[in-house]
Amino acid sequence: MTTTENRRSRRTEILEDRPVNLDGFVEEWPEKGLVAMESDFDPQPSVRVEGGRIVELDGRARADFDFMDTFIADHAIDVETAEEVNAIPSVEIARALVDPRASRDELTRIGRGLTPAKILDVVKLMNVVEIMMAMQKMRARRTPANQAHSTSAKDNPIQVAADAAEGALRGFAELETTLGVVRYAPLVAIALQVGGQVGRGGVLTQCALEEATELELGMRGITAYAETISVYGTESVFVDGDDTPWSKAFLASAYASRGIKMRFTSGTGSEVQMGNAEGRSMLYLEIRCILMAKGAGVQGLQNGSISCIGVPGAVPGGIRAVAAENLVASWMDLECASGNDQSFSHSAMRRTARLLPQMLPGTDFVCSGYSAVPNADNMFAGSNLDTEDFDDWNTIQRDLQVDGGLRHVREPEILQVREKAARALQAVFAELDLPRITDEEVEAAVYANGSGDYPERDVLEDLKGAQSVMDRGVTGLDLVKALERSGFHDVAENLLTVLRQRVSGDLLQTSAILTDDFVPLSAINDANDYGGPGSGYRLQGERWEQLKKLRHVTSAEDPETEVS
Amino acid sequence: MSAPTAASTSERTLTLKEVGPAKRASRPDEVVVAVSPAFSDPFTKTIVDVPHAEVIRQILAGIEEQGVHARVIKVWDTADLAAVAHTGARLSGSGISIGLLSRGTAMIHQRDLPRLSNLELFPQSPLLDAEVFRRIGSNAAQYAKGESPAPVPTRNDQMARPRWQAKAALLHLKEFECIVAGRKPVEVEPVISRA
Amino acid sequence: MTRRLVVGVDIGNSTTEACVAAVSGTSVEYLGTALTHTTGVKGTPDNTDGAVAAVRRALDRAGHTESEVETVLLNEATPVISGLAMETISETIITESTMIGHNPATPGGEGLGVGTTVAIDALSGASGPTIAVVGPGWDFDDVATELNAATDRGLEVVAAVLAHDDAVLVVNRLRAPIPVVDEVGAVEKVPLGMRAAVEVAPPGRTIRTLSDSYGLASVFELDPDQTKHVSPVARALTGNRSAVVVRTPSGDVTDRRIPVGTLTLRGAGKTLQVDVDAGAEAIMEVLGRVQPLDDATGEAGTHVGGMLAQVRDTMTDVTGQPAAEIRIRDVLAVDTFVPKEVRGGLAGEVAPENAVALAAMVRTSRSRMQVVADEVAAALGCRAEIGGVEGEMAVRGALTTPGTAIPIAVLDLGGGSTDAALLDRDGVSSAVHVAGAGELVTKLIGSELALDDREQAEAVKRYPLAKVESFFHVRHEDGTVQFFPEPLPSHVFARVVTMTPEGPAPVATRHSVDHVRRVRREAKRKVFAVNAVRALQQVAPGGSLRMLDFVVLLGGSALDFEIPDLIADALAGYGVVCGIGNVHGSEGPRNAVASGLVDAHVAGA
Repeated sequence: MTTTENRRSRRTEILEDRPVNLDGFVEEWPEKGLVAMESDFDPQPSVRVEGGRIVELDGRARADFDFMDTFIADHAIDVETAEEVNAIPSVEIARALVDPRASRDELTRIGRGLTPAKILDVVKLMNVVEIMMAMQKMRARRTPANQAHSTSAKDNPIQVAADAAEGALRGFAELETTLGVVRYAPLVAIALQVGGQVGRGGVLTQCALEEATELELGMRGITAYAETISVYGTESVFVDGDDTPWSKAFLASAYASRGIKMRFTSGTGSEVQMGNAEGRSMLYLEIRCILMAKGAGVQGLQNGSISCIGVPGAVPGGIRAVAAENLVASWMDLECASGNDQSFSHSAMRRTARLLPQMLPGTDFVCSGYSAVPNADNMFAGSNLDTEDFDDWNTIQRDLQVDGGLRHVREPEILQVREKAARALQAVFAELDLPRITDEEVEAAVYANGSGDYPERDVLEDLKGAQSVMDRGVTGLDLVKALERSGFHDVAENLLTVLRQRVSGDLLQTSAILTDDFVPLSAINDANDYGGPGSGYRLQGERWEQLKKLRHVTSAEDPETEVS
Repeated sequence: MSAPTAASTSERTLTLKEVGPAKRASRPDEVVVAVSPAFSDPFTKTIVDVPHAEVIRQILAGIEEQGVHARVIKVWDTADLAAVAHTGARLSGSGISIGLLSRGTAMIHQRDLPRLSNLELFPQSPLLDAEVFRRIGSNAAQYAKGESPAPVPTRNDQMARPRWQAKAALLHLKEFECIVAGRKPVEVEPVISRA
Repeated sequence: MTRRLVVGVDIGNSTTEACVAAVSGTSVEYLGTALTHTTGVKGTPDNTDGAVAAVRRALDRAGHTESEVETVLLNEATPVISGLAMETISETIITESTMIGHNPATPGGEGLGVGTTVAIDALSGASGPTIAVVGPGWDFDDVATELNAATDRGLEVVAAVLAHDDAVLVVNRLRAPIPVVDEVGAVEKVPLGMRAAVEVAPPGRTIRTLSDSYGLASVFELDPDQTKHVSPVARALTGNRSAVVVRTPSGDVTDRRIPVGTLTLRGAGKTLQVDVDAGAEAIMEVLGRVQPLDDATGEAGTHVGGMLAQVRDTMTDVTGQPAAEIRIRDVLAVDTFVPKEVRGGLAGEVAPENAVALAAMVRTSRSRMQVVADEVAAALGCRAEIGGVEGEMAVRGALTTPGTAIPIAVLDLGGGSTDAALLDRDGVSSAVHVAGAGELVTKLIGSELALDDREQAEAVKRYPLAKVESFFHVRHEDGTVQFFPEPLPSHVFARVVTMTPEGPAPVATRHSVDHVRRVRREAKRKVFAVNAVRALQQVAPGGSLRMLDFVVLLGGSALDFEIPDLIADALAGYGVVCGIGNVHGSEGPRNAVASGLVDAHVAGA
């Protein structure tokens, strides 16, 4: 039998139709920086210190520094140890990262003196399993956690409140929102805060906006932390955004001055995406971002490519580089909110594989964030995981006995907090004289999936209300008062306790979250003490019992029934 | 009634014939179409394989149908969409321009706007097809006439990122390679021929 | 003498106002006011939250606390519920696809072409004067090539009809230009092999032949009977720049009335019925014969019937009164039009169809304000009492406007109803509520301009219009030009906008500023000017507006930029002084009832 040119095998056709073939893949082009982490065009590590000052960094003399080099040399690298630790062979450092007997403290001490090229040289030696081994040890907080996106395609505050409550109840330690129509922000930020405190007292919330408004909402106590302060790995990209490392550091200090938790955001691929990679690999540039964050004195970083994930995702070894950038952030002793937060692949199998290097070792926030609304409502343009994946996630936790920060919650409890969140927001809106929330809207919120399931809001009235929140100077304390006056004493108490944290400043510590008992859990009082098998965070005891629960589990006692 | 087949589907090719330095015109009934350095040469199609010949033909048709005159220029010293479009707007007699990158990303710009602003932006190049390019041309021409066209509906697809983000970056880099620093914009005559 | 803190609270349909005063003896000092949304339907226990919030906010502003308050005075408010419905009462139908009159923005060529319709791919078999019909999927270059080739073969191609927006493109590529009509979405329904005519007028002109009955008769060689038959076609095409008419055996354009049921009005011992499709004038005339209205009902299954039933149900829910006891006390019918797609049209043609908008109002005497007073007293820990009836209090407040005297009437133009009250020389006051107010205006604007978006209709109602002529200037609706130092946002460029306090906001319309302005003013006139007269007639001695001396406008719409002028114009003929209230010479048209309550309290004490 002869083959004809146009005929394809049945198998090829089946493979051609697999979702993974809807994803895009490209060849590397290292000269332009379209390469994950192995490039001949990255600089060789070097450092020279003279008179307490770094005068040479990765082959470049101080006279030739760009402002990133200057900032990193002057603020991020420990000049006392720089020459000593950079002289340690990279392979020794890489092995120490993997070796359970080498302590986290010793490795962070070494890390403090390393140059960007040296750090790259070290992680280039590590395969993805070794990167996970190292992440398990280097993560700052002992207990892993997770973060959610809670947004609405219609910017509907009732939806955001109900979904925030459900998200908090399911276990997310932080909730993040953003807007379609920016002017809606005050109402949606209020909804997120109220809903979150209904779901679980102590959950932390933020609203991603342009920097000035985001800061103002934080200072007023309507939000609890900030994250979307973007930094980049080349001077040209910084300059395009009318920014410098110093301006970002200044903004960071504004948050710190009010005791507000904050972290920067960066990720592989952003520079090459904008055509300004200056011929460096994606990971090299990301390491510069990490050191810039370190130098600015912020406690943490959201990285893991974030909104550029399609770029590293399309080149060979790209997802290994993404795992490595999370590791470097943790190694530099920063809180790491590790991506997995943007639509990544058409293939469910590939989505899961991209997730495991963070989920298995555990990070400070495995997702930053997980879409706790259907992706159609996700105003961050879709996440790697959404509400449809809740049961899969819980099952993977149970299968592999790992803690990804979530748990199965029975429907009656979910319905109860959704209703309470909507009621609380209804009361707060009434107290603050904001556009009315009807009982039909509350009813819809209890059972809804997405924004299409809610009655339409009068957007014009809402926007006026949002403006009046800004004009009247409404603060977090006004929300507390409104909740208290309308009989939501426990929610008022929760929110007040969260606001009090900014006086103690405990949330400024690395990797801080609040427990159910409002105890800050950070790298100070919950330091990662992993030292090999049998040590560090272990999923066991009461928490493991929680995670054994799924929607459908056949009862051993009475196999004719299910337990959940 | 059937649509014709053979004749219309045969591939058209585009050549941009240089006619001289691009100058500022004074006729108020023109729209300038400003294309990026790699447009039509070396690239011949958008990120989703719409031939550049068809892109230009549809944009010019959209302008012509409104009774407005079109002029095409090639911008050589930048491949930044806003800069390409704004260069066109500053040369346009009506102040209205369409900026176009090789991968298909497009923008309607106006002379008095800040460079980084725009009248209409079509950032998702994978979602732009011949019909959208026709409507972009039509809208630009209507702005030039002082009318208020309904904005061309922008499409959105969350899954465009995994499919196209890296290819877009690659095309962007390639386009940057074609930049000729310091070279002034050139007026070109689009010659469309059928194979 | 002791100084007592008294708060007057006016619970209105949409807003609740509070006014804090320090009273010692008969002297009153006003310390502060506040405004919130009314919670629930006016006159029901749900009002408590809004009333308490308003009192608290007013106290905040005045620098006092709840514990200092001696008495809160509430108005005797009765629930008023209003409803709106619209019925389209005419319909244009084209049969046998005889006519295309949709006015594409850019037809091609000029003149009149008369011939036989032939599909473009069948031109090779055609002969005689021919009109080419081109379906979707044809590229303009290919169409031009085909038409040129046919002409070269000697075929007389006199016109063309296209599916896509390609007319100018095709004509520009023809060796001999012909009239071309395009954007005919359902071009495949054009009957083929029929005699037809295509006419395109020069830019800025309208067609002359096909919009004229004798023109059609000449083109199609019609006899007098047939000419009578086609006159609706000519009428339907009047004002278009382009048109296509196909002569088919029984093709027709009809404009038919849609029966939308009857409205039954009962009052003055009579029960009268009127067909809703008879129009507003007929409805209002019948209404006039049954005044005072006892009740109104509509036919089930019609919008009007449904709306009247719903208003009744809502009132039942709110008051607990049985539906049978609840009466529709007023209706207002207004003629309007709704742009609607023509049935049988081939190109999405839109015709302005006649419609009737109806507002209705129901009120009940069963007020539950005592419950509100009790709850307010409990919440604030002070005395709360019903201090007076709202109409009387409003008049009392209005009377503090400098330059007014008894007899005085007030008009409060609200969202759902227009309210009037009168205080006559004998100190007797009376009040009425009539159906139709701000919401009806918004609805009329929205439907006549075909705005999908209620917010835009609301903005058109509230703010003056302008056209953004460049990034640095707008031309206001009065023709004046305003320049801006900073460029305007790009989404308003070249658009008709409303000048909102937040800046220009685009109106999604292709109509001119003049047209939008005309629609807006006409809507306000049809509702507010008409209702001002209707309401005042009901309170005026002997129903004569000439017996009124002073009319004071109160409430939010008294702050509108043109309603006070429209009403003043409407009342000018009656020799009435009409103006905007300025309560206590400082509060403007706000707070009349709240401060009236305090004044009455002091006078009575």
